[in-house]
Order: sequence, then structure tokens, then C-alpha cells
Amino acid sequence: MNISQIKRVIIEENVENCEPASRILKRLDGLPIKKVPDYRKRQRPWSLNMDKETLRLISYKGEFLKPCPGTKNYICCGYQILHVGTNCPLDCSYCILQAYFNQPSLRVFVNLEHKLDQIGRLIDGSPEKIFRIGTGEFTDSLALDPIVGWSDILLPFFSGRKNAVLELKTKTDRIERLMSSRYRERIIVSWSLNSPYLASREEHGAPTIQKRLKAARKCQKEGFTLSFHFDPLIEHPHWKDGYMRTLEMMDKYIDPKGIIWMSLGCLRFMPALKTIIRMRHPNTHILDGEFVPGLDGKMRYFKPIRVNMYAFMREMMEKWHQDLGLYLCMESPEVWHKSLGRSPENSEGLSRYLDKRVVKFFG
Amino acid sequence: MKTKDITRNNPVMIDIGDMDESPGPYCMSFGFDLKPLIGSIEKFGLINMPFVAKEREGKVDVVAGYRRIMALRSLNWERVPCWDLSDSGLSPLELLLFNLYDNLATRKFNDVEKGMILNRLVFHVPRGEIMERFMPLLKLPSHEPFFDIFLKLEELDHHTRTAFVEKELSFQTIKTLLGIEPDSRSAVLKWISSIKFNSNQQTKFIEYLEDISIKEEKKISDLLGEKQLLSISEDKKLNNPQKSKLILDLLRSRRFPLLACSEKAFQKEVSKFPLPGGVKLYHSPFFENPDYRLEIVFKSGCELKEKIISLSRLDGLEKIGDLWKADL
Repeated sequence: MNISQIKRVIIEENVENCEPASRILKRLDGLPIKKVPDYRKRQRPWSLNMDKETLRLISYKGEFLKPCPGTKNYICCGYQILHVGTNCPLDCSYCILQAYFNQPSLRVFVNLEHKLDQIGRLIDGSPEKIFRIGTGEFTDSLALDPIVGWSDILLPFFSGRKNAVLELKTKTDRIERLMSSRYRERIIVSWSLNSPYLASREEHGAPTIQKRLKAARKCQKEGFTLSFHFDPLIEHPHWKDGYMRTLEMMDKYIDPKGIIWMSLGCLRFMPALKTIIRMRHPNTHILDGEFVPGLDGKMRYFKPIRVNMYAFMREMMEKWHQDLGLYLCMESPEVWHKSLGRSPENSEGLSRYLDKRVVKFFG
Repeated sequence: MKTKDITRNNPVMIDIGDMDESPGPYCMSFGFDLKPLIGSIEKFGLINMPFVAKEREGKVDVVAGYRRIMALRSLNWERVPCWDLSDSGLSPLELLLFNLYDNLATRKFNDVEKGMILNRLVFHVPRGEIMERFMPLLKLPSHEPFFDIFLKLEELDHHTRTAFVEKELSFQTIKTLLGIEPDSRSAVLKWISSIKFNSNQQTKFIEYLEDISIKEEKKISDLLGEKQLLSISEDKKLNNPQKSKLILDLLRSRRFPLLACSEKAFQKEVSKFPLPGGVKLYHSPFFENPDYRLEIVFKSGCELKEKIISLSRLDGLEKIGDLWKADL
């Protein structure tokens, strides 16, 4: 993603004078700025053009920290989402955000800083609990970081907490602000990976796998803990070779001992997304597989295909390193057993496993 | 001069031959039954005069009253008294809205007509405004994909649009049809009308064809020309429901080869158990849930007990595992 992709800024009148907004506007000096009333007062029609050239600076009125919605009937990891913005400058063909939002543009919640105290109180109020928090659910954690400066605000905030970790999930190599920060403790920099073939065909606007891994190596050398997510795994011609290539690159660039966890998740999507994907990405082949309705109503690969993909990935990953903190995202105990040979049995079990990893890495 | 002043003037007589037979830029009627209107005109004459506007080339566009003109045409009227809006000062958009609001007040539009309205509006109003202002007025969601589908409805031939209005083709079918190239579209339509798929089957039929076509990089029209499918459709021993089932089964197993294979394997394995009469074993939908379901039909407690005892004595029952994996 290039910052020059942003062509205009829309700012809500009620935040135009707030400091975070001013900082962002300063970094985007020269771009046309339009002031508008509260974004909630005017629902725009749903559009296929997600208007990723516009950055909207808005005040978010909802809860900033909330549990990942997960999914019914499958094991979820108990992650908490820090809602810093919505939409993403990348344009992956499989992206679920294409169906989630009827609000276009890249949206940044500039009132985040004012809500941090409240979030801090919530975390400190449950010292027995480990909060695994991430910003990469509704946007890419780092794609807009050079402009927005989320890491400037969040790294010092989370580094000082005893019972929380912040996972910054990205497909980019925009690590410059991370590098200039002095905070490392309790911060996990995380990359979403795929096979080079899929990354080049389906993850539009995202850097190559090699560039992502080179950025990860830099972060690791600078003392950051890493995590990786092969999500979504997608069947494609010679997929085993493709994913092996990525694993080989990981072996080249990354020290596996510094990886807190790695997740695997096969492509799944709400049925309505299929039409949207076909319209927005007419040349894609990601929907070619045998997708059937899952127990949560989302479309998933037919079970043996998922088991086969996970089992292959597990075998290859464990050949590289035995202790990668491997887990499956939104899968059934049966699929866990058949592919990884173990299962946390339920979401609480998986949470406990990942919490233990946090303790192991950060104390 | 505005419309309220029009009716103060005398109506003008227009040659019916000067009016285009198509609805033109202001009218939005499709799929209507002219008979009642013809009957009314025959009995009482033309009660409400149509509104027209003359073009520079001498042609006359109907602004409101298209159906009346069509009825008069079939009654062989040669000249029609009309209110002339040519010098009303109304812009083309205002003329369009004049008819739109007149219709909105008196009747419901069918989906093809809604598409006609949107198609006429795009010449005068930005897309965003149409979605925001006019789509809710037509009781359509303000979604761009919907907008695009409705815009494309006029691309379909008259026969297809009529089948849609008459509910022989579902919205889902039309939506999918519009996404495929015209060659394949007409091939699909031919099959739908000859096999008489019901609405769910239409959706499945097109969905499978579209998926297979993308996956195998073959044109839908080519897929439909394949021997296996043709032999089913041309089989004179089969009736349409039987053909529908066979065609959909064939396409499904091509679209989901592993799933189809697993279902066969399950049936094969289950058939190896001599289950008592009235006892059936089912798998979960798509095998996603690992649990199986056993159904026992019985008339009395004694019969139930008998069947349970007989089941408990079945050899190999305890070995039931992933029955669907047998042939994989």
C-alpha cells in the first residue's frame, strides 16, 4: 500500500479540532479535506466501489474493546478486538470486509486515544485474566500506521500492562513507526501469509511474501515477538508446493523460537460474499473449491479437504520447529484431532493454551 | 407553462403513427394485460387523454398514457386526442418524474418496470442520488449490485422478461443469468424452459453451471452441449421431474466430486449392515457434524424393543467410524 493511494480526507466536524486528527492531517498535507456532520446521520448506499482513496476521520461511538465474535459451533481463540478503524487499503479478493460494511472508505477512529483510559481500567480490573488483543480484525494493523500512527499510541500503552498483549496483524511491510518505537514488551507483530502464488493473484495491493518476511525478520532482530497466520488457506494448483515455498522462506528469514503462535484457517465466508467476490473480482478462482455450508452457516471446504490441508501444513511446520504454538482458527474438535492429532476440545481450552504461550513469552 | 396550465388549453390530435411503439424515454410499462383497457375504451371511449411531448424530428414521445396508446392502436384508432407538454417548459427529467409519480400513486411496478425507471433516470440523475432517493421509492434496497441488476433487465429479450414478470423465472435466476455471457444465457434459458425446472432447481442449475464453467474454464453453452447432459434431456422415457433430478445430480457430482464420492461411500457402507426394517442411518448435512442419526420406525413398545435387540446383535456396529471415508 502506498500512502499516495489516499486522494482525499473527509473529517467529521466534531473531531476536526482534536489532536490526533490534526496530527494525521499534517501528515497528509496538501490533500483536499471535506468537513461533514456526524457519519451516523447519513447512511450511504451500499456500493461495490469501497472508495479506498478516501480517508475518513471519525469519532467512533461504540465499544472500542470487544471480544472477537468468533463463530458458533467451532472452537475460537478468545481474542479481543481493539476497534481502531474499519476497512483496509489492500483489496484481497477473499476479504470478509467486502460483505461486512455498508460504509465505504478507510475509516479511522480518532477518538481512540481518549478511550484508552477506559480500556486500561477494564484490563487492570481483571488482573487474573490475560487479554490477547489485536487491531487487525476490521482493518490491517500497519497499512495506515505511517499516516495514523496507531503504534505511537498503542505500543507504550500495552507495553506497560502486566496482563495484556497487543498483536498487530498485517500483510504489509509498513514497520517504520514500530522500528522507531522503543517499546517491545508485550507487543506481537504478526503477519498474515499465504502461498506466493495466491498472494500475487488474490491479495491485491499487498507486498510479496518475501517482503513481508523480510519485514518480519527486521522486527525480530529489533526484539519484537512474532506470530504468523496462514489464514485463509486456499486450495489452488500445486498448493502444497506453494505453501512449502512460503515455509522455506520462513526458514530462511525467521528464527522459529521467537514465534509465539501460528494459526491455520481454511477459507470460509458468508454465502452472500460469493456474489460480491464474483462481482468485484471476476477473474478469481478462490471459489472453485468444494464449499459446503458449515455448522455456523458460513461456507467452508468440505471437511476432508480441510483436514488434508491442515495436516499437511502441520507436518511441514513441525518439521521446521516443534514448538510453534500452532492452532486452528474456528474449527471443530473433530478437525483438530484428525489434522493436528490433538484438540483443546472447546474455546476455553484454546484460550488457556494461548494464554500459556503469552506467559511463556512475556512472563 | 407548467402542467397545471396544460389542461386549460385545448387538447391536440396526434397521429398514432407518429408515436413510437416502444415506451420511449418517459414511460415504464411492461408485462401488462391490455384487454380490460381495450374493453373499457370500447364501452366508454377514451376517458383520460394521454400526455405527449413532440421531439424536434417530428416524432412524438408518450409522457403518460402509454398503455392507452397501445390499446387505441389495437383498436385501430388513427388519431388520438392528447395533452401536449412540448411547450410546458418541463425538462426531460421533469417529464419522466411526471409519469413516474403519476404511476406511483396508482399502481405497483413489476421488477422489469423498476429496471426501466432506473434506466431512464441514469440519463438525468447521478447514480448515488438514484440509489439514495429513487430506489427506496421503488421499494428496492439502496445496494449497488441491485442497482446494476435492475439496470441490466432491459438487456434481456422480451420472452425472458415476460417469464420473469410472470414468475416463471425467479429473481435469483435472473440475477445469475445476467452475470453470464449472452450466448450461454440463451442456452441456459432454453434448458430451463424445456425441462421446466422449478425455481430452486433453476438456481441450482445455473449455480452449478457457472461454478463448473469458471473452474474448468469452459463456456456454459459448451457444457450444455456435452453428450451426458444431452442424453438425459433427450431421453423420451424420462419425464421432466426425472430429467431435472438426473441433470442436477450429474452437475452436483461434477461440482462437488469429493462430497459426491463420500455420499456414495456412506450409502455403500451403510448397505453392508442388515438393519432391521424401518431402521435408517443418516449422516449430518455435508458430514460437517461427526454425529450420525439413527431413525427407528415402530408401532408399539414391543416392536421397538425387538428392533433395538436386533440392532444390538448386529455384527460390526461397534466399528462404525467415518463411513464416508471408505472410498476416498
